[in-house]
Amino acid sequence: MADKYNLKNPAVKRILQEVKEMHSNPSDDFMSLPLEDLCEIAVLCVWFNGICRGAWREIENIFEWQFAIRGPRDTEFEGGIYHGRIQLPSEYPFKPPSFMLLTPNGRFETQTKICLSISNHHPEHWQPSWSVRTALVALIAFMPTNPNGALGSLDYKKEERRTLAVKSREGPPKFGTPERQKLIDEFAFSVIYCAAEWTWLSQIHEYMLSKAPPVPQPSATEASDEHPRSEEAEALVDSPNPESLPAGERIPDQEGDGIVEEQEVLANANPAGVEVSSEIQSNVSRNELPQRSDTTARVHNPRPETRVQKPDDRLFTLAAIGLAIAIVVLLLKKFIKSTEHGALFSNGS
Amino acid sequence: MEPLSSLAAEYKSGSPILLEKIKVLDEQYAAIRRTRGDGNCFFRSFMFSYLEHIMECQDQAEVDRIQPNVEKSRKALQTLGYADLTFEDFFALFLEQLECVIQGKETSISHEELVIRSRDQSISDYVVMFFRFVTSAEIQMRTEFFEPFILGLTNTTVEQFCKLSVEPMGEESDHVHITALSDALGVPIRVVYLDRSSCDTGGVSVNHHDFMPVAGDLPSASCSSVKNFPFITLLYRPGHYDILYPK
Repeated sequence: MADKYNLKNPAVKRILQEVKEMHSNPSDDFMSLPLEDLCEIAVLCVWFNGICRGAWREIENIFEWQFAIRGPRDTEFEGGIYHGRIQLPSEYPFKPPSFMLLTPNGRFETQTKICLSISNHHPEHWQPSWSVRTALVALIAFMPTNPNGALGSLDYKKEERRTLAVKSREGPPKFGTPERQKLIDEFAFSVIYCAAEWTWLSQIHEYMLSKAPPVPQPSATEASDEHPRSEEAEALVDSPNPESLPAGERIPDQEGDGIVEEQEVLANANPAGVEVSSEIQSNVSRNELPQRSDTTARVHNPRPETRVQKPDDRLFTLAAIGLAIAIVVLLLKKFIKSTEHGALFSNGS
Repeated sequence: MEPLSSLAAEYKSGSPILLEKIKVLDEQYAAIRRTRGDGNCFFRSFMFSYLEHIMECQDQAEVDRIQPNVEKSRKALQTLGYADLTFEDFFALFLEQLECVIQGKETSISHEELVIRSRDQSISDYVVMFFRFVTSAEIQMRTEFFEPFILGLTNTTVEQFCKLSVEPMGEESDHVHITALSDALGVPIRVVYLDRSSCDTGGVSVNHHDFMPVAGDLPSASCSSVKNFPFITLLYRPGHYDILYPK
């Protein structure tokens, strides 16, 4: 043990510093960042916390890290949560870390070292001024790029990748010893918690946007823009046991439940948002039809169908209630974040 | 450390111009110290030569002089957006070596130990990397000055050049690197060129170039044993740098 944490070893010193930096740095930047940047930062934030707990408590080898990344926005990976492992060489930071994804994703083979060239020109040009953080951000940026037949790369169709993205939310990958699995599960929980929170925030944001200006005639593109959003929301509802949750009470006494509920509200509210702005009946049905077939085809959830067929004013009421609840939850969350959140994360270390 | 005759032996059946030049060198220089040819030779030669100079002269004034320059580089890196943790270890290790070569302390090391450390990758590579950071920072802080030189070498931006040719280990150094390092630390460097080029005038002479820092505070020539200035002399043969010792 003393050998492994030998501070005289420059690699160990550097790694511990990176761990420390990741642990202490992000939370301040986190809230002040614009929503677009939140995507990556949310990952890193959670990842830091996961890592710190792992690194300090259970992983006996600080050269091996666990991570999870969110699929980049506006790509077929959006909404996906991908777990992976980082192996740091003993010559770190002179030699690059190696990456391995554990969650099937359609871009990189799982359990295979990823050939990650951070600089587009020369893969061998790893430099000590980079860190695990740099590499991870690069990995996210790499996901939507063309693999060009690179070793360990996969070139799945977009639809297949999307399916895998939905599937990736079901839970962390299963592998290794029970102890390791426990660690991964624990880590995954905090990832999913933060990721879901982010999705939720961004959907609120978009819902508000769609409500705010009275758009007389939504164009076809707008309607299709709405698709991936509601799809994703439904995908979230489709997690293990959403049926058992009452849609009424909102105070999340258990975080896991809270997430599912929030997503459900949005799944309800979101299509309504599209319809509110469209007065003409034909327009509504045009919007509805592809949406219905889409959701039923991709996510095997019977409820969207019934919901879409509900009368308009019921949808309005639902939307209004949903919005009101969402705002309350949002405020509550903000409050919790400012008080409890910090304590929650620092618990583990 | 080897006498220059070993250099002559290397080219025994080689170009007569080179042998002539080595003869000229032999008049001025006593010995050559060979450096590992792994692409880091310029920085490694500079490291050893610089630390050895401070050790031989017990040049505390030079240690005091260079420290503000090191701090300036540190600030430059921060300004350029480098995360502290990505360079601080390298800085710390260099400053540590700087302390060690001054005698009379607990941490002081012998000349023999300096040679050992310069061969020890876990120290030597860190100091090399420190110089790479200093060089990169200097180039990026003076983009306008270095841009034309870099465009002459490669067709990249200044930032790309630093990312591809300065910061990665094993990337060979050019006059851009030497100028930047010399300027950043305020240490003059003489480079003697041993190549096949010859003068039209007939007589064989060996070209050298002194890289003189632009900044004001040069090292004082306080050390009596140092007759030559600049006190760092490197021998350049295409693709490689070694250390030369003046007579």
